[in-house]
Amino acid sequence: MRRVLACISLSMIPPVNAAITTPEEPGIQLDISPKICTLGSSDKQCETTVHAQWHATHEESLCLVIVMRPDVKRCWEHYSEGTYTIELTFTDDLTFQLRDLSLERVLASEVLHVIREAIRYRHKRRQPWNIFS
Amino acid sequence: MAWRRISQLVIGLACVARAAAGLAADDCTQTGDDCVRVGGWNFSVGLGAGVRTNPLVHTQDIPLVIIPQVSYYGRRFFLDNLDLGVTLAEGESNTLSLIATPGYDRVFFYRSDLQNIFVNGVPFSAEVASSPHSTYNSQTGTLNAEFPSRPRHVTYLAGPEWTFDFRGISGQLDYVHEITAQDHGDEIRGALGIPLGQLWGTWSTNVGFTWKSSAIVNYYYGAPGIYAGGSAFDPFVKLGYVRPLGGKWKLTGFVEYERLGNAIANSPIVAQHHVTTAFLGASYVFRK
Repeated sequence: MRRVLACISLSMIPPVNAAITTPEEPGIQLDISPKICTLGSSDKQCETTVHAQWHATHEESLCLVIVMRPDVKRCWEHYSEGTYTIELTFTDDLTFQLRDLSLERVLASEVLHVIREAIRYRHKRRQPWNIFS
Repeated sequence: MAWRRISQLVIGLACVARAAAGLAADDCTQTGDDCVRVGGWNFSVGLGAGVRTNPLVHTQDIPLVIIPQVSYYGRRFFLDNLDLGVTLAEGESNTLSLIATPGYDRVFFYRSDLQNIFVNGVPFSAEVASSPHSTYNSQTGTLNAEFPSRPRHVTYLAGPEWTFDFRGISGQLDYVHEITAQDHGDEIRGALGIPLGQLWGTWSTNVGFTWKSSAIVNYYYGAPGIYAGGSAFDPFVKLGYVRPLGGKWKLTGFVEYERLGNAIANSPIVAQHHVTTAFLGASYVFRK
């Protein structure tokens, strides 16, 4: 029986980080939207709805996690595809990963990049001749 | 001829500024007193009370109530109130630009001159003294023949500007030539801004001068057959005060005394040898 495990919690999952180097599963594809968040000069952080979608050639049991965000975790058991939508606030790149249920092996990953508007500065005009300067 | 002189000056100064720029790392990493964000508009407005004396005969002093200030800095282009410019070379301490700036003396003849509007922000329907008919000679104390009425058009002058900063002292030197086909005159504007220190706020003084060629002097203050002056050298000194009031408000005040050169002061339409400008008020920065 198929069962969907969905949880967004501060549960005691193993720390998810980028240190795991297991090669990704070739039959599983992860896609996220948007892939880029652009910060303007007056923006301090990205606040956006992220839609994640995956599909596999065979039924899989896996979890969707975000590196360094242990509060986000959604799991599926014996599914060949799945979608997940979440509101996120972040300041740096987010790495979405599909992992096995033990969270030890990375099956697929995608990165949501944060791009900051390049802000240039220059000297003001020095104008001591102007009476209002 | 004037443009040839300007172009020679620009080339020479560009070499100096480029060398200085190459030696100095850019120290602008955020918006501050000396730095501004590229591509952003800057607005501020001063609200207070002040006055600029008018040296012309039978004219009223110019009130200062609202002083708006606007600027925009692109990577090279800049707009600084009524001045336009293109920065040719910029280093940590030296900047070379080509600027276009309005002729200053018209402010005494037309209250509606943009430089007066920018000073007090209030559009005036009446003009102060587009062409004074009074002919009191301040030198001789006698009345002269009728002074012919004529307009003084808006003029713009353009040329190279060198600005620098040395141990906190800022300097500015402009050589500009009239480009709007009115008087074809030249001006040299130079000034130093010197910080004086902190005492319930920040005090500073500016000293400088304007040299005006006879063409400019006569365009504003001369009359064919009645009065023709030579070139004029106008020195000035200013005392300024700024104190943060919290948020984006600052207390701002200054007093400036400018002495008019003899070629201007001797004109029969000039009654005073000097122009004094004073203002005290609060300024608000809309974006910084």
